[in-house]
Parts: sequence; C-alpha cells; structure tokens
Amino acid sequence: MKLAAIALRNLARNRRRTVLSLLVIASGTAALLLTAGFVRFSFSGLEDAIIRGGLGHFEVVLEDEAALASTQRAALPRLADWQAVRAAIEAAPQVRAAGGVIQLSGVVGLGDRSSAFLALAVEPDRERRMGFDVKLREGEDLPGEPPAEGADRVLLGLGLARAIGARAGDAVTLMVVTPDGMLNAVDMTVCGLFTSGLQDLDLRLIKLHLASAQRLAETEGVSSIVVGLADGAALEPARAELLRRLSGRNPRLALLDWRSRAPFYGQVRSLYSGIFWFLGGIVFLLVCLSNSSALLMAMMERVREIGTLLALGTSRAGIGALFLSEALWLGLLGALAGDALGLALARVLNALRIEMPPPPGAVSGFPLQLELAPQDFLLATCLMLAVMAVSALLPILRATRLRIVDALGHV
Amino acid sequence: MSSSPILEAVGVHKTYHLGQTSVPALRGVDLVVARGDFVVVVGPSGSGKTTLFNLLGTLDEPDAGRIVFDGTPLASLRESERARLRRRQFGFVFQSFNLVPVLSARENVEYPLWIDGVPAADRARRVAQALESVGLGHRMEHRPDHLSGGERQRVSLARALVHDPVVVLADEPTANLDSKTGRAIVDLLARLSVERGTTFLLATHDPAIVEHAQRTVQLSDGQITADVRR
Repeated sequence: MKLAAIALRNLARNRRRTVLSLLVIASGTAALLLTAGFVRFSFSGLEDAIIRGGLGHFEVVLEDEAALASTQRAALPRLADWQAVRAAIEAAPQVRAAGGVIQLSGVVGLGDRSSAFLALAVEPDRERRMGFDVKLREGEDLPGEPPAEGADRVLLGLGLARAIGARAGDAVTLMVVTPDGMLNAVDMTVCGLFTSGLQDLDLRLIKLHLASAQRLAETEGVSSIVVGLADGAALEPARAELLRRLSGRNPRLALLDWRSRAPFYGQVRSLYSGIFWFLGGIVFLLVCLSNSSALLMAMMERVREIGTLLALGTSRAGIGALFLSEALWLGLLGALAGDALGLALARVLNALRIEMPPPPGAVSGFPLQLELAPQDFLLATCLMLAVMAVSALLPILRATRLRIVDALGHV
Repeated sequence: MSSSPILEAVGVHKTYHLGQTSVPALRGVDLVVARGDFVVVVGPSGSGKTTLFNLLGTLDEPDAGRIVFDGTPLASLRESERARLRRRQFGFVFQSFNLVPVLSARENVEYPLWIDGVPAADRARRVAQALESVGLGHRMEHRPDHLSGGERQRVSLARALVHDPVVVLADEPTANLDSKTGRAIVDLLARLSVERGTTFLLATHDPAIVEHAQRTVQLSDGQITADVRR
C-alpha cells in the first residue's frame, strides 16, 4: 500500500473533473513553454545579430580606453603594433579569427549632396572567417584584400545612400579630421548598399576596408581588435586564454566581452524576462484558482471518509499528505501532457514559418521559430507542481481542521 | 478474564449547541468497563449512545467529567497521542461500515497497520488472518462496492480487529443489515470476543445483540438508567 497509489485512485473517482483539471494544467504548461520558446528565440536571435553584426565575442582595446564608448574612441585609433596583438589572439585555439577595427566619423559627399557618416573600417576577409554577415541590398561586398591606393571601396547604409542619391558604382568623397587635426579627403567607389537592420543607423553608417580608413585618417593604428570565437558558448574559457596571452603587454590591453559592449541586449533581456514572468504569474494564478476550487470540491465530497481515516488513527499530517499527493499527481500528469502539447505546437508553428512584423526600429521582419530547451520543460513542470501545491493549501487546511465527530456525521 | 477497568467515564457531560438551542446529550454519565467485557449499550435514538461512544473512543471531548483509559485520563493526551491511542488500542465499527471506497477489502483491513508503520510482510499475514476470521478470505481483492452489506460490515469488523485492539467500539453495527445478516454479525462479534478476550462495547437497538451481552447498560435522555450484568 502506498500513499501515491491511493492518491492516484482518488483522482480516478471523478474522471470528468480530473480530466478538466488536467486540461487546465496542460494548457497552462503549454502556454508557458511557447512563451519561453519565443523569449529564448528572441534572445538567441538578438545575440546572434549583435555578434555577427560586427561586435564579435570580444573586443581588445587599450586599457585606458576600456571605459569609453566606441564612439568616443573613434577619433583616436591609438592601438599601434596591432598586427602582433592580432597574431597572438589568433593563435589561441578557441579563436576563429580576429580583425582590426577603426571607427571614424566625417562627411560623405556625392556631387552637391553630402551627409555626416559613422564609418566602421574592418578587415573583410577576417570578418567573413568570423561569420559576420553584411546584409547587402545592392552591389557587392568589400574586397577581402587591402585595396590599392586610388582603388578604395565603400559600402553605404541604405538611408545614407538615399540621402545623397548614391548607387553602387558611384564615386563618393569621404572627408575626416585626422588625429593631428588636419582635414583629409579620399575618393572611393561605392561597391554596394547594405543595411544594419536598424533604420536610424542606416542613415549614417558606412563600411570600408581598414586599409582605406587608415589612408583616410592618416594612421597606422586601429581603434580595437574584434575577436570571433569558434564556439560562442565557451566564452569564459576563451576569456581566460586570451587574458593569459594579452597579459604583460605594454601599453596594457583590456578584453571586453560582447555583453558589456551591448547594454541594449541586457535591456531587452530584462524586458522579455519581465514579460515572461508576468505571463507566468497570470498562468500560475489561473491554474491555481481553477484547481483550488476543484480540489476543494473533491475534499468536500469526502468529508465523512476523512472523518473515518482520522477515527482510525490517521494523523492530520497524513490527511494533508494524501491531498497534497493528489494535487501533485495532477500537477505532474498535467504538466507532462502540457510538455507534449507545447512541443507539438512549437513544431507545428516552426514548420509554418509564420512571418513576424519587424521589431521597432528594424528594417525587416523575421520568421517565427520557437526554441525550446530541456530546462524549459523542467521549469514548466516544476512550476506546475508548485502551482498545485499552492492550490492544495486551502483543501488541506479545511481537511486537517475537521472535527472527527462532525466529519463522521457529514452527509 | 481480568476484571481490571480498562475504560472509565466519570461524571461525563456533553451538550451540543445548535444555534441558540442547547441540546444536552450526556448528563453525568458514570461507567466503568472491565477488560474483556462484552457490554451492550441500549437506548432509543437520541439517548446519547453515539455521543458516549465518541467520548470513550477519543473522537470527542466531554464538556465536564473525565474519561480514563487504562489509568490514563484522556484529557491529558495531546491530539497526536490520542490518534496513536486510536491507532493501537481501539477498533471502530461504524453503522454505515465507513470503508474507503478506493481500497480493496484487503487494503481497508491493512490500513490501520499501514498507518502504524507495521512491516509489509507482517501486515499481509495479519490481514489474511483477520479476513479469514470473518469468513472473507476469498473476497480480499474486492472493493466495497462489489461486496454485500454483510460482507462490508465483516470487512469493517476485520479492520477493527486486525491490530489486536484492547477495546472495540461498535456503534449500531447491525442497523444497516437485514435481520439474518445482522444475527450472523452478532454471532461473529460474540465469538471473537470470547476467542480474543477483546473488550467490546456495542450500541444497539437490536434485541438479538442484547441476548449475547454479559452486561447491558440502558441509556435514556443522556443518563444511565440501568446497568445489568448476567
């Protein structure tokens, strides 16, 4: 004889009520899973977009510039001897590639039209090895090899190109202030138009080869070195290895991970987590109220039986344990059914590839793909067990406070 | 058979309150039950039989007076101690059998041993013996809804006896049975009383039970009006 077996048999007494309770729990579990899948998809999509959009997993900067925002560093490409640093970084086994970066600001002109720009100068061949993607909308990507003097190429953001009326193949003039305060201008050919994914940024952003930017800014240094890892999940071991390789250098270098450079990601994560737990709270409340009522009804139908069990010497804790077991069985069975339902729904929704509208400020939408992880199923199941334990509190309190003679006389 | 008292009621009063109305159920009951007695408590409905049994069986507490079990005043026991006393020293037989519907006959009889932590092998042996002793060895795996009224009451009796209690309290054990089945149950109770030396207290209207009694206590309007030994 086992308490769990007795509890299970008690659930079978009123099958219709039990099935309804299981349906409520399963629906709640599936809703939580789908929400968790969407949130996880959003996080991983955003993480991927941030890293592959040019930020990389790490950025190596001069230690005295580590606290500055990248835009503050733009006019000061002070990291000299950067090829040696890059070689040391690329020798680490976790690193797929590393590339020097210069951030510049200036003015770009075509004919009588001009606009301010923010330039990101990179090593395109290394960016490709790091898996960074350029969302080209017209023309072609920057050449991998450093362009010869007079053959410089530039990619224009869509909004910026529209503002100055530039198309692929046009010649534009880029003008910046050099580190020593002089104005310098270089003519470049627009090899293509691209989007960063953000409308506001597309109004200002251009990309060019690092060698072109160094010619334009009259410098041989870089602002920083961006590092791409082979396995983004192994951030910490890679950090330890890179810190070991970078230690002892003069000037001192700092290693910044992508999270610290993308506060936007943290804000989005906080917002989505808040939404998830808010929805979870609502599901918790609905399942709790619904099942508390069902469990209370089941208890009221068995008042005389509870009186008998107490008369036979069952402790009040024993009576409570019986009702708690019944609630936990409901929670477990309902959650398992909900896990299966959630998984099936997620697969169906993923197969449908429903197109979601563009997020605020973004240029294009994205196909809905729910990402469910094993821990989501565990979390949803544990949450439902907790819901049912809370739901059982009132029935347990009522059952354990019954006077034996009143319970035995209950009709 | 020992004549030492096992249960004593001394000046016991109990009043129920129904809204503004007070209904006295027991009014100064004094009763001494010796170990091994077969006591029948008779009286009309509302005379206080069930109330007296509830108090003697620690299911309720008197408003005044005291109940003493084997020298221990029940009022001095905590609730958990009273539950343990019921689990080990008392057996209960109810008018409506009060079997747990989701448990088989075997499991219903096993229940008092299970909650007392008796090992499974010992439980199995004692349950089989108890059900055999009430003639239900062949119906062990049947659930209550597949048993007749007489069979259910025999299961209830086996449940009351399986843990070898000192006292069995049977409140109207034949009230829901036909006369033939009721007589069979009474014969069984009398036989078990003799065989086991267990103290039996039975509340009844049934004259057939009174025939078996060593002692008959007459209860009327909450007071003992006669106490006859044979």
